[in-house]
Amino acid sequence: MSEPLTLAIPSKGRLKEQVDAHFAAAGVALKQTAGARGYRATVEGLSGIDVMLLSSSEIASALVGGDVHLGVTGEDLIRENAPELDGRVALVKPLGFGFADVVVAVPRSWIDVSTMADLDDACAAFAQRHRRRLRVATKYTQLTRRFFAHAGISDYRIVGSAGATEGAPTAGTAEAIVDITTTGSTLKANGLKILEDGVILKSQAQLAMSLTADWTETMRASAAAFLKRLGAALPN
Amino acid sequence: MPAFPTYGPEDIAALDEQAAAMLAVFAARGYTRHEPAMLQPAQIFVDRSGEEIRRRTFELNDPSGRELCLRPDLTIPTCKWQVESGAPYPARLCYHGLAFRHRSGDGPTQFYQAGAELLGVDDRAAGDVEMMTVAVGALRAAGLRNFEVKIGDLALFATLVDALDVPAQWRGRLKRHFWRSGYFETLLTRMVVGAASDAERAIDALHGLKPAELRPAIEALLDKEGDAPLGLRTREEIIERLTIQASDGAAPKLDAKVAETIKSVLDVSGPAPAALEQIRILTKSVAASMAKPLAAMEARLAALADLGVDPKSVRFVAHFGRNLEYYTGFVFEFWSRDESGPVEIAGGGRYDTLLESLGAPRGTTAIGCAIRSERLLAAARRGK
Repeated sequence: MSEPLTLAIPSKGRLKEQVDAHFAAAGVALKQTAGARGYRATVEGLSGIDVMLLSSSEIASALVGGDVHLGVTGEDLIRENAPELDGRVALVKPLGFGFADVVVAVPRSWIDVSTMADLDDACAAFAQRHRRRLRVATKYTQLTRRFFAHAGISDYRIVGSAGATEGAPTAGTAEAIVDITTTGSTLKANGLKILEDGVILKSQAQLAMSLTADWTETMRASAAAFLKRLGAALPN
Repeated sequence: MPAFPTYGPEDIAALDEQAAAMLAVFAARGYTRHEPAMLQPAQIFVDRSGEEIRRRTFELNDPSGRELCLRPDLTIPTCKWQVESGAPYPARLCYHGLAFRHRSGDGPTQFYQAGAELLGVDDRAAGDVEMMTVAVGALRAAGLRNFEVKIGDLALFATLVDALDVPAQWRGRLKRHFWRSGYFETLLTRMVVGAASDAERAIDALHGLKPAELRPAIEALLDKEGDAPLGLRTREEIIERLTIQASDGAAPKLDAKVAETIKSVLDVSGPAPAALEQIRILTKSVAASMAKPLAAMEARLAALADLGVDPKSVRFVAHFGRNLEYYTGFVFEFWSRDESGPVEIAGGGRYDTLLESLGAPRGTTAIGCAIRSERLLAAARRGK
């Protein structure tokens, strides 16, 4: 009996509901096993697929690390784990929900800063005056480094943020942030504004394929059948 | 070399012998050896080298959660020791030890560095000459016969930018990015077109105000934002920056001829004597300001000639900045060649602001050099 391929989907929250609905509409409804609280499932009508329910960030690192074959999670999390995708992950299908932007945001009171070039100037002046680097709070270390490097900014440092990143400037733990936002209202409520050219990534939920996982011919066939129902195809 | 190298008995003997030779050169010039800890607080590097170095630094936490790292260089911890020990200036410090850096792809995660730091010698010209002498002496003592020297000077370009007619708010940007080929050209073009003035409509509100009216107007704009956070950035910094921008006028542009001068100077690259002459010609319009930095460069070439290095074999590269680290002035590199092409053996330069950032008195000068021991050994073995 050949091994099934693994498909990881978010274990809770709005994203899980949206994934369930999207798959059901495509005729590949997921059926949770081992009770409603279980973290395993199967795909109705398709064999050879072992569905696992994990957190969105676990899914992203599992895809990059080759621990699951297919997964649904935010593109922001996938790219944070593998910025250029690096031949490690392929984005198979954008799912049309879970829209959010990863953005650079600074205090509204910085009326002299509205672009990355302004931020570059401000960082340099800050480093000279305070003899330390301006702090950017974020959980998106990789995305931030790349974006700032591309904008020519090197005079800053990243301070890790597990949650409530938008509160960091008020709390005094950072001067600026890189965070994910949907409506922008939380940023506004925290006295922050998005830089004009500060959108790092326009993200949405993606069905992605791990290129580093062990794929057999049988698995590829199962995946192809599954993807066909969703109107997608296995890349290459 | 593999990522996690094991040094065999012959390599160890050869590296030890080479290290002894280099350290003897340093000692003869009055440098005392100090060996900083391999495990260091991550903070001291992060605050001074930015994310580019941090990306390559091996970070770890101790059991109490403190952020540490394996030292990616020895200059910063050595300078930190100097400041914290309260030892007098001028100080001549040298080291030979392991440094740790992550490299994407294959490549060793650790390498030996021999280096020297000359701290607190106010006569910069003398300091430059001494460091050149020490560096060349160490390389030769290790058996390196042929090497190519590449030189530059961040202060030379900075002087040019200050001397030319450039809108004040853009001087900093030009000085910071001159070594970023591609990005810099785009920047220049946007400045000529006038598209680089990015400040918000705040500037429109300040347009045409008299100097005395400027500050209250800016304060009023700031007050409109209520109690939005500032982070550690102060109101003064914002006011200062807006004042500079306001003084440049509503739609500043970089004069196309000035842009041309800047571009042509940065394109200069080649045998040093001719390169400096070319810069002299290109910057005729601001000859008075450029005289000093150009003379300083000539003096360094003369020092190299005294050391038996033909100035015509020295490559002067105007856009050579080494800005990823902490250099502020004269920068240099020593190169060799192997089958796959050029190999950087040693590099260094002047970093006059580093010590102050570590707590030394303002204006404490610093110039140093770091030599990659494994690469030097390979080059010397190649008989080059």
